[in-house]
Amino acid sequence: MTEQGRRLGVPPRELRRRALELALADAGVERGRVDGYIGTSSEAFDDVRYLGLAPHFAWTMQAGGATAIWSVLNAIGAILTGQATTVVCVYGAAPTAGVRRPDGRVGGYGGFRYGYPAMYGLIGAAGAHALHARRHMHRYGTTVEHLAAVAVAQRAHAAVRPGTLGYGAPLTPADHQASPLVVDPFRRLDCCRDTDGGVALVVTSTEQARDLPGRHVPILGLGTGHNLRNWWTGEVFDHHDDVATAKVTAFGQAGIDVGDVDVAALYDPFTISPIMQLEAYGFCAPGDGGPLHAAGQTGLGGLIPTNTGGGQLSGYYAAGFTAIVEGVLQMRGDGGATQVPGARIALVSGHGGNGGVQNTWSHATMLLGAA
Amino acid sequence: MSRPGPRDVVPDDLDAPFWDACLRAEFLVQRCGGCGRAFWPASSCPQHGAASMAWEPASGRGTVHTWTVYHHAYDRDLADEVPYVLAVIELAEGPFFHSDLVGCDPGDVRVGLPVEVVYDTVRPDVVVPRFRPRDAPGEPPTADEGKS
Ligand SMILES: [Zn+2]
Repeated sequence: MTEQGRRLGVPPRELRRRALELALADAGVERGRVDGYIGTSSEAFDDVRYLGLAPHFAWTMQAGGATAIWSVLNAIGAILTGQATTVVCVYGAAPTAGVRRPDGRVGGYGGFRYGYPAMYGLIGAAGAHALHARRHMHRYGTTVEHLAAVAVAQRAHAAVRPGTLGYGAPLTPADHQASPLVVDPFRRLDCCRDTDGGVALVVTSTEQARDLPGRHVPILGLGTGHNLRNWWTGEVFDHHDDVATAKVTAFGQAGIDVGDVDVAALYDPFTISPIMQLEAYGFCAPGDGGPLHAAGQTGLGGLIPTNTGGGQLSGYYAAGFTAIVEGVLQMRGDGGATQVPGARIALVSGHGGNGGVQNTWSHATMLLGAA
Repeated sequence: MSRPGPRDVVPDDLDAPFWDACLRAEFLVQRCGGCGRAFWPASSCPQHGAASMAWEPASGRGTVHTWTVYHHAYDRDLADEVPYVLAVIELAEGPFFHSDLVGCDPGDVRVGLPVEVVYDTVRPDVVVPRFRPRDAPGEPPTADEGKS
């Protein structure tokens, strides 16, 4: 992982190059050994040249915040079908310098829009998530104090994690309530901020990993779910994605259940997201995700330490790679002041826009084991 | 302020019957002849595919399923509009429909609020349906109502 932050002034493909080289060094993999490339932006083809790679394939994927885990899943598929032995999954973006969007405009991720709802002003991910948050508040009595508890809990982790946006700057619930309303019920401190940065993952087989000097982290299970399932039943806004099938697949592969998870690294563009995911994974009953945060159960020593690096809300926004990086750090025991002692299993999640008139359809689950 | 029309945001004409009907102040949904379920916008039925789908008149009424209030303008064209209410309407026939709410104070919106369509002529040849609280006073909706 490269430096993550705002206005780094580094072009995206250079961020990807730096991320790749850091990852190869970390894994102890020679550049020439890379025979598969999965890009997570639309610019992969010139990346391959710029990064000096000679892979068997290079393809790109885009499913919003689910892309990171999907890229790992696809890397494994390529390895299992004999297409490659060593696949790199590479992310690098500089949204604070302006993202060129499909409609030709330039701006941060907040300006994304899709289809007919855009005519009415549904622009940006915050509004789409606010619709889920409102539904959750209506259905379960979740409050803005619960949302504040998420922001405060994750900032407490970032405050002691160097390199994050929230480093050295803890929050109080009053700080949260004093931040301006953006898209009701979200205030500014309910939203993550665009950051620049690069992340690269090296994916290889267990046998090859054993021969490499790097400290590899085993992948125990992967799963996917798509919220279109809930569109057809009219419950799409009660879920911001579909954890159910992703969970069953990933935990089934790993042969474990939710009670075995030591640390959760959940995709968290907005404060409602960890609340809904902790419920959907079964760490608490539906509707209890807010109270769980308010009771301090998502901090160190709590029921399920969550987003121990500050997440995207207070750490940095690397489009789903944030959660994978934190899962890897925890499984290596490199979590610093927020390392979960003796953590053996990490739950990593991602979700993202992919599929139509509503945001946040795809969900991806990855379970990691200790290095 | 220039509101986009449907063809500014969706690049094909698969929903043309719906948007053409709006010019006549008619609200359509698609209904599956196989199972009777209604859909919006144009869709394949998950059980019966696209072959049995037909557009048919609908009530233009529904309730607020979920909502938000935009206090931040994510587009400079919306700078004069904030705060505005963005709602998901659960149409009486079943489908969801995203719309802003007109004639509705942001403080009055709630889940379950009954709403009805009004037709907003955004350009001479483009009429966009929007929704307002059903208990709002006034005549039945016409093609010129609902402008904010
Ligand atoms: Zn049908």
